Amino acid sequence: MKDLKKLVRDFWYGKPAEEMRMADLYIQPTGLYKHREWRGVKDTFYYMYMIWGYNYLHMVMDVMKYGSLIDFVKGLWRYRWMGQTYIPVLHWFDRGLEGLRGPALRGSAWHYRAMVCSTIRQFQTMFQADTKLHGGKKNDHYYHTLAIKETFWGGIFYGWSDKFIAQPLEMIPYFVTCHVNSHVVLNYIDAAQSIGLPGDPCPMCQAEEGLFVLDDVPDYSPLFFTVNEACDGSVGSTILQDWFFDKPLFALPMTMQFDNEEVMKNTMNEIEQCWAFMEEQTGVPMNMDLLKQRINEQNALQEFEWEKWDVAANTNSYPICGVAQALYRIYQSQYGTWGANDIWHQTDKKIRKIMENAVVNKINTFPKTRHRVIAWSCAPLYYSNWCSWAYNAWGLNVIINMDSLMFDMTLRTDTKENILYDMAKYHLWAPMRRMAVGGLHHIFELWAYMERFNCDMVAMYDQLQCKGMQGVHGLFEDEFRERNINAFWVPHALPDSRTVSRAEIRKLISDYMSTVMGEEPIDPSLLDFDDSQTW
Amino acid sequence: MKAKLLKALILAFGANALLFVVFFFDLDGKFLFYIYEPFMKKHYDEMPRRDMTKMPYEINKPNVEFDV
Repeated sequence: MKDLKKLVRDFWYGKPAEEMRMADLYIQPTGLYKHREWRGVKDTFYYMYMIWGYNYLHMVMDVMKYGSLIDFVKGLWRYRWMGQTYIPVLHWFDRGLEGLRGPALRGSAWHYRAMVCSTIRQFQTMFQADTKLHGGKKNDHYYHTLAIKETFWGGIFYGWSDKFIAQPLEMIPYFVTCHVNSHVVLNYIDAAQSIGLPGDPCPMCQAEEGLFVLDDVPDYSPLFFTVNEACDGSVGSTILQDWFFDKPLFALPMTMQFDNEEVMKNTMNEIEQCWAFMEEQTGVPMNMDLLKQRINEQNALQEFEWEKWDVAANTNSYPICGVAQALYRIYQSQYGTWGANDIWHQTDKKIRKIMENAVVNKINTFPKTRHRVIAWSCAPLYYSNWCSWAYNAWGLNVIINMDSLMFDMTLRTDTKENILYDMAKYHLWAPMRRMAVGGLHHIFELWAYMERFNCDMVAMYDQLQCKGMQGVHGLFEDEFRERNINAFWVPHALPDSRTVSRAEIRKLISDYMSTVMGEEPIDPSLLDFDDSQTW
Repeated sequence: MKAKLLKALILAFGANALLFVVFFFDLDGKFLFYIYEPFMKKHYDEMPRRDMTKMPYEINKPNVEFDV
């Protein structure tokens, strides 16, 4: 009778965390599921209809909304990064949302949905203009699309957004693919090395070059705007892109050190030069009113982000998991907004409802939490969902991360001078610059943010091929000891899963938790399993 | 009328049950992993590609005529 009661309770609510044995669901080493997780009746069917079904359906609808089905099929057939990553995207959801229930499941899934929608808009923008998919023809879309480097803030061209779409060159072919299907990028890294380039620089730059070496980049714009972010490795990849892309190019500098008024003046001047280049090439003047309007729309996103941070810092009711928080934020703030009703604004409205409901009802959204973790430096792209694993295995709840905190500002729109100043600042506060290779003062903002978000532990990423961050490794070790902070290192090679495997990352964290912290895992099945073939 | 309604209900239930089986047993993932991806991989591996290193590297870039 007792067993039957428990069976019914487990069916209705899902098993309690300590009985989950999540890894028993995996078909090792593929990462596929024998069956998907049973989260109780309500959440399982929410997942099935509102996440799995909803997203499959909207993946088709968005393709038609942002371009044509024919261009989509052509792109799928032509580009490896497209064909091998677009279709298994629901497994990317599965990996990131493992173990979540209630508001945390809903809030995190809407973040994923927004990223998928924006991704579709982006590849459809490229495909409809791509000469490679249209028999070499440069159509009208081609002349209305701007190619920008993925680390170039799209907002620089807000003033032309009624006529041109600023489309990052590598954001979809490189950045997104690493998260969804980690095997694809290896083709591009190897391709870069196959023409004699050294293998030790940042693998992000190698992959960006490799896309061109394999002729796997859409030709969708007459112009190319680039930037030296993150480092000299990016300068190297721009040289190769200038060769292979063969287009009029504008390079917008991003200084390494930026706490200086002279640097700000110089950057403002460079942005004006960038605008002048745009006007000179296209003959279209910038629309200042439109620029202000878009900036205000972006400010609205930032203001809501601050509200989210406030809830994350001061309550247990924040409904976004670590990986959704990090990816959504970096994606949204880097790509920019495309209107007051774009997917970011729509998502924020949904999140507000979920979050307010969780706060009002005092719902503990991550009930397995043992430690509130802040993740610092750049994350492994092939294992961005490590935090979902860490939560389920050890109760490590990643509250906030460095990438989310980069663009911690709104922009003024009262005078041209102030607009330019704030745009220059935003440009310089970019990912991998503001805190990663932007000087000691900023990298050590960790301590202030740790306090602000009430975190008791640090997950310190260690990008093994980033020369900038390798230089401060020892300083962090010293500071952790001196400040008596619990911190574990997460070594990785950004997109390259061959250098430090997912299993090695898990082992390092588990070793720390058991030997240093002396804790027992919540779900022991997650300590040792093989996911080497997982997308 | 009653029979039609019953038929529609049975059909809707059947479709949802089928959908649930695909969802719960990760049949979409299994199809993509074992059938779709190997096929596409083979296609991309065999695709003829330009040798990009044969491209001349020129300082002068082409002029673009915009009509926007």
